[in-house]
Amino acid sequence: MIEILDPTVETTTQPIKFVARPGSLAGKRIGLVENTKFNSDRLLQKIGDILVAEHGAADARLWRKHNASVPAHDEIVQEIKATCDVMVAGIGD
Amino acid sequence: MPATLTSKRLRAADDAEAIELCFARGWTDGLPVVPPTPERVVRMLEAAQLQPSHEITYVAHRAVSVTAEKVAINAVMAGCRPEYMPVVVAAIEGIGDPRWSYHGPGTSTAGAAVLLIVNGPIARELDINSGDNLFGPGWRANLTIGRAVRLVMRNVCGSIPGTLDRGTLGHPGKLSFVIAENEAESPWPPLHVERGFRPDQSAVTIVAAAGPRQFYNQLSNTAEGVLTTLADDMRASGNLMGQPHFVVVLAGEHMRTIAGDGWTKAMIREFLYERTKNSYAHLRRTQQMAGAVQPEDETRVRPLVESPDDIFVVAAGGRAGAFSCYIPGWGGKRSSQAVTKEVKR
Repeated sequence: MIEILDPTVETTTQPIKFVARPGSLAGKRIGLVENTKFNSDRLLQKIGDILVAEHGAADARLWRKHNASVPAHDEIVQEIKATCDVMVAGIGD
Repeated sequence: MPATLTSKRLRAADDAEAIELCFARGWTDGLPVVPPTPERVVRMLEAAQLQPSHEITYVAHRAVSVTAEKVAINAVMAGCRPEYMPVVVAAIEGIGDPRWSYHGPGTSTAGAAVLLIVNGPIARELDINSGDNLFGPGWRANLTIGRAVRLVMRNVCGSIPGTLDRGTLGHPGKLSFVIAENEAESPWPPLHVERGFRPDQSAVTIVAAAGPRQFYNQLSNTAEGVLTTLADDMRASGNLMGQPHFVVVLAGEHMRTIAGDGWTKAMIREFLYERTKNSYAHLRRTQQMAGAVQPEDETRVRPLVESPDDIFVVAAGGRAGAFSCYIPGWGGKRSSQAVTKEVKR
């Protein structure tokens, strides 16, 4: 009988709190985060426009990540937290 | 020391059953692994003088701390000799460096491998191949060091093909992609010295990289002739985002021809930088760039890399054969940059 060691990382639980989803988008400020891939800005802005026109959102503003391979930088995360109620992010590829 | 190992332990009847257990658990790259027994793992840690709980790096994009214990376990599985461990550790420091930026090369559909270029005395001590069959089979250090890094990416960082490793095609270098520079025969300063280290230091340069592309020039006996062929091939290989780097590997015959004309690495870089620019017209005609060709596009050019310094020239490969190669870096400079880490002993 031999023993071997597990090469993987044992998962440690990490609580993540989600903000409650709004019942309605009426009057909500929408933040859009695009990942710099071709046309991702156009796609997200289109979604934002629909949320304003058809669901009564107050406005939809677009932010841009540095590039698709990195998480959104802290500066835009803080801005979005301060100025938006709802955000939409997506990966264009 | 074994008591300080904290990883979960599994039991198997013998090595053969343990090998199958590792397959069943999804811990391998498709090849059998050496079962990571506590004794083997301890020998690996001792060779690098590391405590099991020591954090080698923290990969922020995966929120994962990569400890010496986990690196040692995966290095055992890869088939490394204990004395390889300091090189593996330096490479893991590299993939955790924010400039290397793990998420892109670890995940991208473009399928980056981790190219490791080893310089300094340790390359000779460990018999890391810098000659014949440079990227091919035959050298334990070359094949197992890179394999250990990929197993850490799989087992610790979650880069499992099909889930968080989404390479569309991948490439064989994703199994292992390790070379040394042929410092003994090179007429030029080694890569790690160009990147700020002393010749007597050992260092690993970690590059997110596509596969190697071999080119052939048996005709010319001048530096300009050989490099003209190389530039012509390289020019078509870039993607529109722009590569962060190109690695140019010059093997024996070409190395001697180019150096014989008195060319330095800096001259090679400058020549290649100037001769690999694409016109906007070409990029638009070949559907690599959006939009119709404008008159000024014929003379407006786009370089392959931002600066000549982004072309790394490495002397390596067999003595015979009029072949050399280049390796496009993965992604763009804002997505991942090569880093060089000292091998600490």
